Amino acid sequence: MALLEVENLHTQIKLKKSTVQAVDGISFTVEAGETIGIVGESGSGKTMTAMSIMRLLPNGGSSPEGSIFLDGRDLLQLDDEQMAKVRGNDVGMIFQDPMTSLNPTMTIGKQIAESVRIHRGAGKQEGLDRAVEVLSLVGMPSPQQRARDYPHQLSGGMRQRAMIAMALANEPKLLIADEPTTALDVTVQKQILELIDGLRERLGMAVILVTHDLGVIAGRADRVNVMYAGRIVENTTTEMLYANPRHPYTEALFDSLPERGADSGTRLYSIPGMPPDLTKPPAACRFAARCRYAQDDCRAQDPPYRVDEVGHEFACFHPVGAALRSGEEVEVTLSEVTSTEELPTPELGEVLLEVTDLVKDYPITKGFLRRQIGSVSAVAGVSFSIRKGETVGLVGESGCGKTTVAKLIVGLEDTTAGAMSLEGADLAALKSGERRKKSRDVQLMFQDSYAAMDPRMRVRTVVREPLDIQKVGDKESREARIKELFEQVGLPASALERYPHEFSGGQRQRVGFARALAPAPKLIVADEPVSALDVSIQSQVLNLMKDLQAEHGLSYLFISHDLSVVRYVSDRIGVMYLGKLVEIGPAEAVYSKPIHHYTRGLLDTIPVADPEVEKAKASSGIVGELPSAINPPSGCRFRTRCPAAQDICAQTEPPLVPYGTDGHLAACHFPIWE
Amino acid sequence: MTTYLIRRFFQSIVTLFIVSIATFGMMHLMPNGVVRGMLGQRATPQTIAELTHRLGLDQPLYVQYWRWLDRLVVHFDLGTSYQKSQTVNALLKEDMGQSMYIVGLALFFTIVISVPVGVLQATRRNSVTDYTITTFSFIGYAIPVFFLGVVLRDLFQVQFHLIPIAKQIDSFHAAFSQPDQMILPVATLVISGVAGYSRYMRSSMLDEITQDYVRTAIAKGATKRRVLYRHVLRNAMIPMITLVGLSLPTLVGGALLVEQIFNIQGIGVLTINAALSSDFVIVLGTTMLTAIVTILGSLVADISYAALDPRVRLT
Amino acid sequence: MDEIVVESPGQGDNIPPTEQMLGLEPTESARSMFRRGLEVFLENRLAVVAFGVLVFYVLMCFFGPLLYHGNTSHVQMDEITLPPGPSHPLGTDQNGVDELGKLMKAGQISLEIGIASGVLASVIGMLYGAIAGYVGGWVDSIMMRTIDALLSIPLIFALIYLASTLGRTKTVFIMVIALTSWFSLTRLTRGDTLTIKVRDYVAACRMMGGRSPRIIFRHILPNTIGTTIVNTSLSIANSVFALSVLSYIGLGLQAPNDDWGGMFANGSSYLDQNYWWMIYPPGVSIVLIIISCNFIGDALRDAFETRLQKR
Repeated sequence: MALLEVENLHTQIKLKKSTVQAVDGISFTVEAGETIGIVGESGSGKTMTAMSIMRLLPNGGSSPEGSIFLDGRDLLQLDDEQMAKVRGNDVGMIFQDPMTSLNPTMTIGKQIAESVRIHRGAGKQEGLDRAVEVLSLVGMPSPQQRARDYPHQLSGGMRQRAMIAMALANEPKLLIADEPTTALDVTVQKQILELIDGLRERLGMAVILVTHDLGVIAGRADRVNVMYAGRIVENTTTEMLYANPRHPYTEALFDSLPERGADSGTRLYSIPGMPPDLTKPPAACRFAARCRYAQDDCRAQDPPYRVDEVGHEFACFHPVGAALRSGEEVEVTLSEVTSTEELPTPELGEVLLEVTDLVKDYPITKGFLRRQIGSVSAVAGVSFSIRKGETVGLVGESGCGKTTVAKLIVGLEDTTAGAMSLEGADLAALKSGERRKKSRDVQLMFQDSYAAMDPRMRVRTVVREPLDIQKVGDKESREARIKELFEQVGLPASALERYPHEFSGGQRQRVGFARALAPAPKLIVADEPVSALDVSIQSQVLNLMKDLQAEHGLSYLFISHDLSVVRYVSDRIGVMYLGKLVEIGPAEAVYSKPIHHYTRGLLDTIPVADPEVEKAKASSGIVGELPSAINPPSGCRFRTRCPAAQDICAQTEPPLVPYGTDGHLAACHFPIWE
Repeated sequence: MTTYLIRRFFQSIVTLFIVSIATFGMMHLMPNGVVRGMLGQRATPQTIAELTHRLGLDQPLYVQYWRWLDRLVVHFDLGTSYQKSQTVNALLKEDMGQSMYIVGLALFFTIVISVPVGVLQATRRNSVTDYTITTFSFIGYAIPVFFLGVVLRDLFQVQFHLIPIAKQIDSFHAAFSQPDQMILPVATLVISGVAGYSRYMRSSMLDEITQDYVRTAIAKGATKRRVLYRHVLRNAMIPMITLVGLSLPTLVGGALLVEQIFNIQGIGVLTINAALSSDFVIVLGTTMLTAIVTILGSLVADISYAALDPRVRLT
Repeated sequence: MDEIVVESPGQGDNIPPTEQMLGLEPTESARSMFRRGLEVFLENRLAVVAFGVLVFYVLMCFFGPLLYHGNTSHVQMDEITLPPGPSHPLGTDQNGVDELGKLMKAGQISLEIGIASGVLASVIGMLYGAIAGYVGGWVDSIMMRTIDALLSIPLIFALIYLASTLGRTKTVFIMVIALTSWFSLTRLTRGDTLTIKVRDYVAACRMMGGRSPRIIFRHILPNTIGTTIVNTSLSIANSVFALSVLSYIGLGLQAPNDDWGGMFANGSSYLDQNYWWMIYPPGVSIVLIIISCNFIGDALRDAFETRLQKR
């Protein structure tokens, strides 16, 4: 008997005027000691599935129907009191955001102890002792002291460790991790995932890992359930899923991944349209409307689950991939363009922007009189250039200064020192009036387009604003330009009359892109433009950006923490660490032959959506956490976390020097270069 | 925490300083200035000139301000009422006890009642109980204190004679020894206080209940009761402290009206009568005094807030 | 169901996508914000009733005297303290003056002063708060410390002092009440301004080369106006209350220019004689106006907030 058996689970969420079928008849099992992945995009019902098991539904959530057997006992038949005994004891859970998920006015020691006291009837001291014990189990340094800390005194990674300690205090048989690393930096993400893996083995528990990230799941899960629109559409072992997806949705998801596009040099596939409205789900295949293989039967009937000979389950009439060990011929009629089209390659011109020794310090004040007691060294002497038609990617952990570089270039912050020469004019030295005029040439694309648009303006006004400010043309020509822009970014002209909140995330990003394009800039600085989007939507925006770059000869400075996205879009990649540019060079070279140990570590740390690659990774990635930028380490700033650091690294700052002839530069005393 | 305390303390001093300037400014709003205020109707040009010189009012404003401030800060001298030929300090001393007694009792009962009411509403959100209480608190919130006081008097003293009508209460002793006479004035203040406080408590509870950490506590296996009392209630009470600090002026103002309705010779009635007889020095004195009490109250509230909330305490 | 074929955008010369394909509901097509806000407001039945009450009082007080001619001017010794009856629907007072007529006249005073000073207070509060929030730095610090100081003086004390020293005319009351009741709105507007100032859309405007006037008038003020409108309605309630307090303690406009507070004070001195018709009509009127303004304020807040969300 499996540890957990979910059968025909239905969960509804009541809204003001409608009811969402958040989870609509799913079944899966979890064996003791194994890790099950549940993967899906936002709104797929993956989190609601996890919450249904714990019976932690939000307001309006009706009690789930179906059955959830844990060790043979149906959780759905338990009353509230019995269920409380299961939570935290038999099943532990960790959440996405450890900051808000911890009680801010209680020490973490007490919060962990509470769990022990509830279920084991332990006393105050006994509970605290156990708290310290589990804190050291989850690798918390000096657990005795940390137990007395409040959540806001810990870093994000430490908070998540405390959350894990709390979930594991009573050694549950099952741990549910709902997007446990989404709010964390990549380097910390790896540490946390490894911790969960290690604890699973040590404690012999099962794990349900809920995530949107195909890379996270690839290296961690034994089996994967793919969810779409409240249903599980495919369920099989991780290896089989990645090697041979059978459901067209899964296949489309994989095709949307930027790393696949970067490998083959082709444009990304993007899933057209939007997921169905779950207040009135279609009585047919829910993916049919967006499926490139859909036939009439897909739109007429709901496909039942099928199991092929190797135990691969999926719900599709016309599965893709090869049916292993079966004579059945897979007939696929393509009604759509496939993703084999070559990417447009823009022609590189002369240098557009030359950034030299860019510095930005933020003062820190303290005390009653707010004296300045120091400064945060956000950007410390960064130099690079961007040519016409080129995309330069900038990667690094949060806090590395990449966003500050973006703000400096578009003029949202003033530089402390350094020069930014745009076609010969130094933006940093211009008077404010001149600077304003120049802002026509450099536009910023925001991460969160919704926040970047005045909620009270129709998008027509939003997109027209740069033209109004820069006094481009007359009224008619501006209107014509807006229509043209909307057409270019693939939005109907009628949508101009709408307000920003009426659009979905991907559509808003298009509107934001249209606004950035409006004054016909030469350079667009894109700050995490696709980070908030689902994979399938992300690829739409990336494709669009590439197409319009080729069409208009645009240059991009593309900033992201996601190395695979940056690699896909960029001609050259710069890697930043704690305000320094530690490496820059052609995208492929940086990716496949990194010189700096930080780049190497980053590449090892970032999860790749390929179980083979993930399993083969030997190094544990980057250890520790990002030091403070108030007192950055002397010499090489990375030395505190570097595996190759020696005395000289603390004394002398390594200069950025070229390696080879293709413009690959790195700043390291002991480069990985043979 | 130390930095916070020091900053907060200096803020209070700056606030007091601004209050003193405002009060000094108001003093000069008096028709024909302070002297006329002191001499009242009997003033002749000659006596005015005489007193003006004697009080140093012919000196530059900043000198006057400095002297006034010096008297106020060093001797806590709020001036002398010429109509009553008594110092304002002495008058305040007579009337302060009963006023503070009423305000103290009202504040105590307001908090003791509104916290459980707010919790009840938040836990039974959108139930009949919740709606009923909300309706009452809406009315209680909108009804002016004087109207409420008169209605209570009408009901309990005039219509049903449940509480006897006593003679004026003019000392702390009189107030303390006649608890039945305190019921209606305190009830008036408590009813309008609870209306506001419980609404605030309700929304503060609801804010906390929807926080992620509540979900964590449930996931830990905590029962509803435990989540409510160990996690939510404590955190929801913290903002209430600020509310108490902020609502002190309203409460003191309400006490003034209640004294008038229920015939209690306290600071409120002192102020009203002084205003009606143009004895502005007294009005100014009581205004300054209540402002100081309020500032101290909100200082205490902020310090308690910092003591209870580690996010403030540890920064 | 129609077959929806949407190719990934930007792939050459496709037919442009329609709104429906993008999941934008056609029925909702671009309704104006005002209409959506109005709908939310009208859905709140209490607010509609409250609005009705307000309209009723305005009509009764300002147009009622044209239709109903009660004695409000002279002493009528043979008709003193009559309980409500056919000739005097709300009875008469100790001078034989008709209470209903008086209620209308007093209501004019209450509403005039209440609305005028409520609006004035809102305008002062909004400007002060917007300036403090936008300028920031030490200017903001000084401006807000001043507000703290003024807030710590109990409103009634300040009112009593100002009313007793400055004289008791309508203009003085409007000014005095407005000057003592704009502080809370200032804090709200300043808070709004501070949060809007750091929003990405303001950053976007600056990035595009927009100057301060554009940022203030196109972005900050339109986004704070909701707070101001909501608070104007609460501010009117406050002003009606403040005036009635002054009148109640005998510092209001002098008779015969009584407002509702003055009528109430006059009536309540006859409490022991049980002349309830002299007390409750003005008292209840004050309460109804205050409650109505509060309900309307709440509904307006909802209307301003929800119209920005998908419903």
